[in-house]
Amino acid sequence: MSEAKNIKFNIYNPIITYEHRAAYDMIVSHLQEIFPICNQGKCKALEVSDDPQKQKQINDLMEKVEFFSNSLITITKVFFDQLYRAKQTSSQSISQSTAMIKIDMIERNLLERTCDVRWWALEKAFWQCITLSNNSKSNGKAKSSTNSNNKALKEAVELACTRLEDIRNSYTLYRDLVIADTNGVIIANSNSDRRSEVIGMNVADEEWFKKALETKDGTEYFVQDVSDSKLEDMDALIYSTALRSNGDEQGDVIGAMGVLFDFQGESQIILNDYLPKDQNDQTLEGWFSFFTNKEGKVICSSDETFISSGEITDLPRNHRNLTKAGEAIVSTGSVCGNRSLIVSHKSKGFDEYKGLEWTSHLVLPESAMFERSDTNENFGISPQELMNSKLIPEKNQQTYREIQRNKGDIQLISINGIILATDLGKAGTSFIPIFDQITTTGNSTTGKMEELLSEMSSDMLEQNLKALENFSKQAVDLIDRNLFERAADVRWWSTDHAFWEALQEGSEENFEQAAKRLGIINASYTMYRDLVIADSNGRIVANSKSENRDKLKRMNVSEQSWFRQGMQISRSVQFGVQDVCDSELENEETSLIYCGGVLEEGQREGKVLGVLGIFFDWENLVFPILEGCLPRIKGEVVEGGAAFYVNDEHKVIATTDSENFKIGQVVKLPSENLNLDAGESASGIFTANEKKYIIGSSKTQGYREYQGLGWTAHVVRPID
Amino acid sequence: MLYSTFYLGDTQMAVPIPCILEIGRSFKFHPVRGAPEVIDGIINLRGKVVTIVNLGLAFEEIKIEPSDESRILIFKNNSELNEVADSDTVMETAPDNIGIHVDRISDVIRVESEELQAVPSNMVHPFYKHVVRRGDSFIIILEPSKILNLHETPDHLS
Repeated sequence: MSEAKNIKFNIYNPIITYEHRAAYDMIVSHLQEIFPICNQGKCKALEVSDDPQKQKQINDLMEKVEFFSNSLITITKVFFDQLYRAKQTSSQSISQSTAMIKIDMIERNLLERTCDVRWWALEKAFWQCITLSNNSKSNGKAKSSTNSNNKALKEAVELACTRLEDIRNSYTLYRDLVIADTNGVIIANSNSDRRSEVIGMNVADEEWFKKALETKDGTEYFVQDVSDSKLEDMDALIYSTALRSNGDEQGDVIGAMGVLFDFQGESQIILNDYLPKDQNDQTLEGWFSFFTNKEGKVICSSDETFISSGEITDLPRNHRNLTKAGEAIVSTGSVCGNRSLIVSHKSKGFDEYKGLEWTSHLVLPESAMFERSDTNENFGISPQELMNSKLIPEKNQQTYREIQRNKGDIQLISINGIILATDLGKAGTSFIPIFDQITTTGNSTTGKMEELLSEMSSDMLEQNLKALENFSKQAVDLIDRNLFERAADVRWWSTDHAFWEALQEGSEENFEQAAKRLGIINASYTMYRDLVIADSNGRIVANSKSENRDKLKRMNVSEQSWFRQGMQISRSVQFGVQDVCDSELENEETSLIYCGGVLEEGQREGKVLGVLGIFFDWENLVFPILEGCLPRIKGEVVEGGAAFYVNDEHKVIATTDSENFKIGQVVKLPSENLNLDAGESASGIFTANEKKYIIGSSKTQGYREYQGLGWTAHVVRPID
Repeated sequence: MLYSTFYLGDTQMAVPIPCILEIGRSFKFHPVRGAPEVIDGIINLRGKVVTIVNLGLAFEEIKIEPSDESRILIFKNNSELNEVADSDTVMETAPDNIGIHVDRISDVIRVESEELQAVPSNMVHPFYKHVVRRGDSFIIILEPSKILNLHETPDHLS
């Protein structure tokens, strides 16, 4: 075996488990025992027969046994080397994808934040408030300020605060939102608990404010990486942009808007996900997950006691200095006193969004890579079948075949020896125990190795199932988070003055204005196919896309689920959603429609005037999410791997493999994978399309206020 | 007496060890034109020409294809069998060296003569000589001469 030269296996390595060390000792010592037995056989050959041909035959057999014993000793070392390498490679690959999932998850979230701040800055209540404030100051300097001006300003500030609160209520990811005039004085904020401290504060020296004033137009924004801000006691991640006169994207800068993302809260959710927990839901010792910024400082950690925010960690230098977007590094070293596997994955941004050059780190005890789980479920697959499946790398299968061949050879030698001994008559009977011993040793050593091979294959199965479970969890998390944003969008947009004004006034001019507003929204957010306003009779009165206008104007949607749900809404924090289905509103497309009630006077609670429906660009947005969750080997999607979502009736609603897992199809899956509770994951084996697949499944648990629609994500790969 | 056991499909069978000359892993079969279908071919065993019978076809079952596990049991011819020292049992194979191709081999077992039982009447077959019970399973002891002497085997072989 040429591979024998590259063996790194060393029985004294502390990562070798006690059981494996014992098995190795047993195999090698048993094989070593064969050599004196063979010598004994060679001596006996001289004693029992004068026939040189018979003596030679026995000698040849003994030498063959010695040869195969030697060969088995070498294979044992190769095998152990492969066993540990296979576990290591598989563990590293899972850890690397976990680190990547985490940074990807936060980046996708931050991308949404960049859209939010630019859009909110166009809100009428904000630019009107700042305009009044600026006017009042210039009037104040002229000493001609009037009570009515002051009253108007007070009302404008109140309205601005209310609207900022509305945003915060719709998008619960923010700790605060503020607007400041050009001097850096905070005029209004969203968080009423901190209002008395924040309003009047001067932030002119803060970077987020200065950079917001420098933005060229409404398409630009600035993000201040996690750092100190006088607005809060804890480090803040602030997105900002300029407020412009008359809410015009090209207008003069009249102030700034800053939104303080709940970075720590959001990161804690992401960092603590995918970490193994004990019975008390505590993360296991030695497991850490944290983000560092581009300077290598920790910005959030799953364990602030050992790895604290604001500090440079004691990670190896190459983990701290990743430079290329999407770069990843895996190594072993000491972290917090433990021998650990360290995985670092630098953000690759998302689409055109470059991100903040953060890095996600995952640290786990080195020994965890080689631990066996307590649940050794075999899922009805035989070790033999598993060993020959695609889950087991070819070189491990070769070792398996070599062990089988050696086992066969030793068996053959023993039986031929017994035949020879029998031919020698009574004299030959003394050979029989020797060959029996050879058979026993051969069987016990190869049997032990088969046991270990079967352990390796079941570990590989388990790790692969775990990886698929992680991918399915990622798939369901990503869609939940994405749809949470849609739920937040529809709630906030429903309160827009252009919509309630249009439905209240009912004039063509107002509808035109509403349509224009819908058009601006759709141009800012790329994930919608269309946005429509329907009046209380179900008649569509405005939509964002002019090319659809004639068709939609003739349509009555009063019988459609999204409209009926919308008409039941009486509070601005509520929303409705119509599960993925074919809709006559859109040609040849499956639609996912979110709805919000447009309430009288844009109040937080009141009479519903009509419904805002937003049509999520389902196919185009869901496909990349599923594709990103496909099982991969060295970056390449595993042949035949597929990911799909099913609704609560188990029907496929989105798929990467429309041939084998078709839209609308109910795929026959193991019941453990079908009947999951919210937030639960499971894995298993099933047969479909005459292929055996392994599968990981996760059911939605929703995200924040978004409860989910009972969907489950399934990720599969064929193994035969 | 010692018996070498082997499998044909799921059925465990055995032949007496003294009848066997050698067991081999893989031999190159030389096809014989005009030979009955049960013959896999002939092989060269250190200068001896040995005919190989496919045991699967001999039992009118599925042909055994060469594989990692399949083996050839080569039988002594009658004169070699007679030369075997201390042979206190009368045994017969065939005038020539003939081998049988089996699915896989198993253990060598010792069977005392009192353990040999007659073949039940509902499973009589020309190749079966005895049945031996081992735990919950049975091992069929074959009569080598019946398999190996092709002219005495069932009609379809001739």
